[in-house]
Amino acid sequence: MPELGRAALIVCLGLSAYAVVAGGLAAHHRRRRLAVSAQNALVASFAAAAVAAGVLVAGLVRHDFSLAYVADHTSRKLPTAYTISAFWGGQEGSLLLWLLVLTGFSAAAVFLNRRATRDLLAWVVPVLGTVGAFFAFLLVAVSSPFVTQVAPADGAGLNPSLQNPYMVAHPPLLYLGFVGLTVPFAFAMAALLARRADERWIVATRRWTLAAWGFLGIGQLLGAHWAYVEVGWGGYFAWDPVENAALMPWLAATAFLHSVMIQERKGMLKVWNMLLVILAFCLSLFGTFLTRSGVVNSIHSFTQSAIGPWFLGFICAITAGSLALLFLRLPLLRSKTRLESLVSREATFLYNNLLLVALCLTILWGVTYPILSEAVRGEAVTVGRPYYDFFLRVFGLPLLLLMGIGPLVAWRRASLRGLRRMLALPVAVALVVGAALLVLGSGSSRPGLVAYTFSAFVLASIGLEFLRGARARRDTAGESWPAALAALVNRNRRRYGGYVVHASVVLLAIGVAGSSAYQTIREAKLRPGESMQAAGYTLTYRSLSTRPVENRQEVRALVDLRRGDRLVARVEPGKNRYFAEDQVSNEMAIHTSWLRAEDVNVIADQVNPDGSVYFKVLVKPLVNLIWAAGFVFLGGALIAFWPDAREERRLVARYSRAGALPAEA
Amino acid sequence: MSSRKQSPARLVIALSVAGCLAIFLLYTSIAGGGTSSLRPSQLAGREGKEVQLAGLVLAPVRGDAHAGGLRFRLRDIDGRGRVPVVYEGSVPDLFKVGRHVYLTGTLRKGVFVGERGTLVTKCPSKYAPKRS
Repeated sequence: MPELGRAALIVCLGLSAYAVVAGGLAAHHRRRRLAVSAQNALVASFAAAAVAAGVLVAGLVRHDFSLAYVADHTSRKLPTAYTISAFWGGQEGSLLLWLLVLTGFSAAAVFLNRRATRDLLAWVVPVLGTVGAFFAFLLVAVSSPFVTQVAPADGAGLNPSLQNPYMVAHPPLLYLGFVGLTVPFAFAMAALLARRADERWIVATRRWTLAAWGFLGIGQLLGAHWAYVEVGWGGYFAWDPVENAALMPWLAATAFLHSVMIQERKGMLKVWNMLLVILAFCLSLFGTFLTRSGVVNSIHSFTQSAIGPWFLGFICAITAGSLALLFLRLPLLRSKTRLESLVSREATFLYNNLLLVALCLTILWGVTYPILSEAVRGEAVTVGRPYYDFFLRVFGLPLLLLMGIGPLVAWRRASLRGLRRMLALPVAVALVVGAALLVLGSGSSRPGLVAYTFSAFVLASIGLEFLRGARARRDTAGESWPAALAALVNRNRRRYGGYVVHASVVLLAIGVAGSSAYQTIREAKLRPGESMQAAGYTLTYRSLSTRPVENRQEVRALVDLRRGDRLVARVEPGKNRYFAEDQVSNEMAIHTSWLRAEDVNVIADQVNPDGSVYFKVLVKPLVNLIWAAGFVFLGGALIAFWPDAREERRLVARYSRAGALPAEA
Repeated sequence: MSSRKQSPARLVIALSVAGCLAIFLLYTSIAGGGTSSLRPSQLAGREGKEVQLAGLVLAPVRGDAHAGGLRFRLRDIDGRGRVPVVYEGSVPDLFKVGRHVYLTGTLRKGVFVGERGTLVTKCPSKYAPKRS
């Protein structure tokens, strides 16, 4: 079996390399049959990657410990779902998953665009083939999942922290996002190579970008929720370089999704959009480099990997190559239209882009600062949470504000008087909410109060947009309110899907502000029968118990949670000791009070031999809005993503306006 | 016509870049730079300065992290310098002898005193070590 896996990877490498060479020649010399042959090779590379993936899954399920990867990441007692998820629990498997998704996306991109954008596709194939060949090469020559050994009696098992349902879904979703960004990048490069300055590459990849961005967003939220419930520290995001690695391409893709609307509508920002798509793709590669190379201190860093230098070389080559190509094509990309006014919808998109890119680059600077400072001063200097929090406020709060202003500003040129009229109601709502919060005592955190006030402004602005649109439909079509609202969203899915996503960002901001600016933390060492206080709750430690369960031993502290005299909940924080892995995992207990909109997290930080426990208690207001935001985000992204027959017809008309496809030899 | 006029977009971009730089300079001058990230062998002459220390945990590990402090030694990951460490606060689940950890703190009289809650253990099996 391992031979089959290795052979499939070699075939995949060969097919990808063929797609690069044959595809490049076919596109350059306009050879139709050769181009089709290269496309077929790219599609076949997916089949080869699928065979390799199948071999690894079979090895995992059969507990074939003669495969070193299986022995290193699973054990006989590991539950089946986690045995399969060990596919992406280690480096080699993660790379194979990347290759599988990439070749799958490449095959889908070829299939979906084989008619509509045939001339672009000729250049897309060698670009996608290049990325595929790089990953296949890594798997064949540098980091193979099919290394064999004398089979041990049992495997080393999977890190207990990864034995969590979220970890089954979180990494693949991030991969779908990272790899998905390859498709818009490939089409952008293809447009430059084919000397096409029109918007067809954007139209062809809009859904790809949206899907990749959606996967990245949901993947990060799942990762944050995993950290919250599993890692046992009560937080969900720590500005760790690996967390930043997923956030940066998402920010760049968010900027891109906004600015392409300006290019589609006005033909502006062509160079900027190219830069954004290059940035998003290179950042997704950079994230992998950061994780694997161990160049910076991270909880996730893998310090001994041999693939770091390969990644660095590939990122440098891709960045230099794409920027050089963009530079060569600059004369083609000059916009015919210009920004007419600094107070217009276009301008708010531009401000939004600048803030998103500034935030993204600030994070990039923070992540790379240790590397750069070591290179320049001979000593690595790290920037911590205060740095990131500062810039999140500096760029994030104006971004939040813009989400409320943008939809209300007219295209081309808005009059200040009109703007004042449009903004009056949302501003009034924000001021009332701000004043009410101040009275209620939320002034203890100024950034929190500002975030809440801005959030109220944005929600009022979004609500107003829905209300205006639905009322207009009611007046013209005589529909009921629900029917008018449904028809409004249905007829302009992209716009109203976008507003729903904005609402999710507001929920996220409220949740983050509430759970960080207004949280309460208390710590105490308790013996059975003793109590402690935290934010109006009384916690009484009752007893300690130990029980064996499947592949672990569970130690649990029984804690009564009271508010006044009333028993609110009985929780059991503790620790699990995993036998095969010889590791301990902290199991935090979470009590959610829906009435008070807060979580009480109880952590048994240290269980002592004498039965006493060192408890850590965190009371986090509004933290569940962060997870609720995930559902709203998914809903908004799906609305914007959902195919629209009328839009398809508009696109066909646009294609025909852009010019008939040139005849190919 | 308008093609000869300078686009306000350029002005906005230029002002934004200048604004970002100004904010950054303001931050670095007011809030200070970052924290030096060092190995045990680089600690000499850093008495009293806050640094981030990364290394490999050596046996024995003694004491109580919540009463008097957890005591252990950290060694350079590539093997030479070593320093005794005392740390009070939450200890990550994955902390044990042989693990790569990092923490923020200060060297005092030859002992590295970690700040509360800064001890981080690198995830050992998510990304398996290079096979020899």
